[in-house]
Amino acid sequence: MSGIDEALEGLTRGLARRTSRRSLLGRAAALIAGTAAVPLLPVARASGESTSERAGRVPAPTESLDGPAGDPKSCEYWRHCAIDGSACACCGGSATTCPPGTEMAPVTWIGTCRNPGDDKDYIISYNDCCGKSFCGRCVCNRNEGERPEYHWYRNNDINWCAGAKSQAYHCSVAIVVGQATEGQPEK
Amino acid sequence: MPIGNLRRGLAAWLLIATPIAAVAFEPETLGNIATLPSDRTHFVWVPDRLLGHSLLYDGQTGDVVATIDSPASLSPKSPLLAASRGEFYSVDLDYSRGRRGDRIDYVTIYDATTLEVTGEVVLPHRTSESNASLHHAALLDGDGFLVVFSQFPLPLATVVDLERRSVAAEIPMTGCAGVYATGARSFATLCGDGTVVQHQLAEDGRLASRIPSESFFDVVDDPAFMSAGRTGDTWHFVTFLGVVHGVRFAEDAATVTGSWSLVSDEERAAGWRPGGLQLVAAHAGAGLYVVMHEGEPGSHKRAGPEIWRYDLATREREARIVVPNLAASFLATQLGLEADGWAEWLLQLVVPPPGAHTIAISSDDAPLLFVRSAELGVVAVLDARTGEHLHDLDEAGLFGPQLGAL
Repeated sequence: MSGIDEALEGLTRGLARRTSRRSLLGRAAALIAGTAAVPLLPVARASGESTSERAGRVPAPTESLDGPAGDPKSCEYWRHCAIDGSACACCGGSATTCPPGTEMAPVTWIGTCRNPGDDKDYIISYNDCCGKSFCGRCVCNRNEGERPEYHWYRNNDINWCAGAKSQAYHCSVAIVVGQATEGQPEK
Repeated sequence: MPIGNLRRGLAAWLLIATPIAAVAFEPETLGNIATLPSDRTHFVWVPDRLLGHSLLYDGQTGDVVATIDSPASLSPKSPLLAASRGEFYSVDLDYSRGRRGDRIDYVTIYDATTLEVTGEVVLPHRTSESNASLHHAALLDGDGFLVVFSQFPLPLATVVDLERRSVAAEIPMTGCAGVYATGARSFATLCGDGTVVQHQLAEDGRLASRIPSESFFDVVDDPAFMSAGRTGDTWHFVTFLGVVHGVRFAEDAATVTGSWSLVSDEERAAGWRPGGLQLVAAHAGAGLYVVMHEGEPGSHKRAGPEIWRYDLATREREARIVVPNLAASFLATQLGLEADGWAEWLLQLVVPPPGAHTIAISSDDAPLLFVRSAELGVVAVLDARTGEHLHDLDEAGLFGPQLGAL
């Protein structure tokens, strides 16, 4: 566990103590503290499983969508409901892959987006890709459930590359880390 | 022509030409460098994310008067002026190899007249950045201390003693974000439990006390924007749905003084709400200004077509100011169109107005309101009291969410 992970875990616990149960801060903050940081959490477990193991429990979201909702280069791509930045699919990467030569920030913000194909909600991890200057292509800002910086795991303003080796922001991916079992309280 | 012959030719020409020029007029002096005037009443910083610098405009004349480099990895922070010290401060971030290598976070100190670098203070923590980087650095009243916000790995404030030019304190602020000046030795931060926490410093800049307010906003249902406005000892925090919460700060207290709505029931039903980036500005005499739009949940960063002005004493709206068409102004400049000519008039007619993300107001008795879309290199200058569009600050960079009125 890195120093940042330890610090984030401490912060998560502090937040959880300071905040109402309804906000789910403690639970959700832990989710984004990185899959390596809190391995007992559901999302962390999911990402640690093999594809076949995961497929056995939770069907993958529908990706064969017509139009912009199925296009990772589009701002209207279904996973982009809370993205702020350049879509990595326009910068040499994909919706789940950082472009060559960049580093994926281990700490990030999350959103909950509805897949129009199966009408289910999925938790999206918007990891920043770092170490190169701003890509500047396919810039998109959508803010469903987004919150200010003090509600940090729901905030897409923060330069999350702060958790990477280089704080230089390049683009963002939108990785499905789980299926939401309840709607997010933030609208 | 060979280079040697060219040089000899030029030298001969100069020998002939110089005496003739000398009698025609007094030769101009080489090497002059401009300085900044002491009257900075309507000056405004316009930081640019892509160009990596901040232009300083005279908002009265529309002229650029200086530039400060703003090294950052995302959004530069507006330089801060300590008038009593005659210094500007820029919170900077650099790597030894461009975007990689050894990282250094530091405060660059500039002479406010010459803009020469007169010193720096290296910071012990990673300074924070966000899309707008609002309230990530604050100059405390009296110009004694500068407070810099860090978010990773833990939220904390680094207090810089400006007299000693050294770090005085590192203060953890778990669960909170931003730094807001509240006095000569105090600052506040906005927290995830719906409170603000007042931090009182000792004379040496170290933390003396930490005083939370009561919880006054709902983080989930109606959170407060990071953008807020200050008049005197009170900060005015605005929420997503348009509620204003006043918090008065004293040495030993952070008191919520009351809450009121920017919108009527009818306006709320129509969807009117605050939105943008640096969307709040306040002036002790002219009141509170908020960028407004008709939206829905999730539209809180949308540029607004109007700026609403309120009397802070009566809490009554005094004006609805329509944001000038910044896209038409920007295009007119880029196309080299004659100002106020028919072509610009046509542009104003056919180009959809993008609205405003960001506003700032000067602090004098005849305040100017500066208005910007984050995505366009132009800033509109308005008479803050009447809302009249006076002129534009042209060629104001490419992209940036901040404005810093002095």
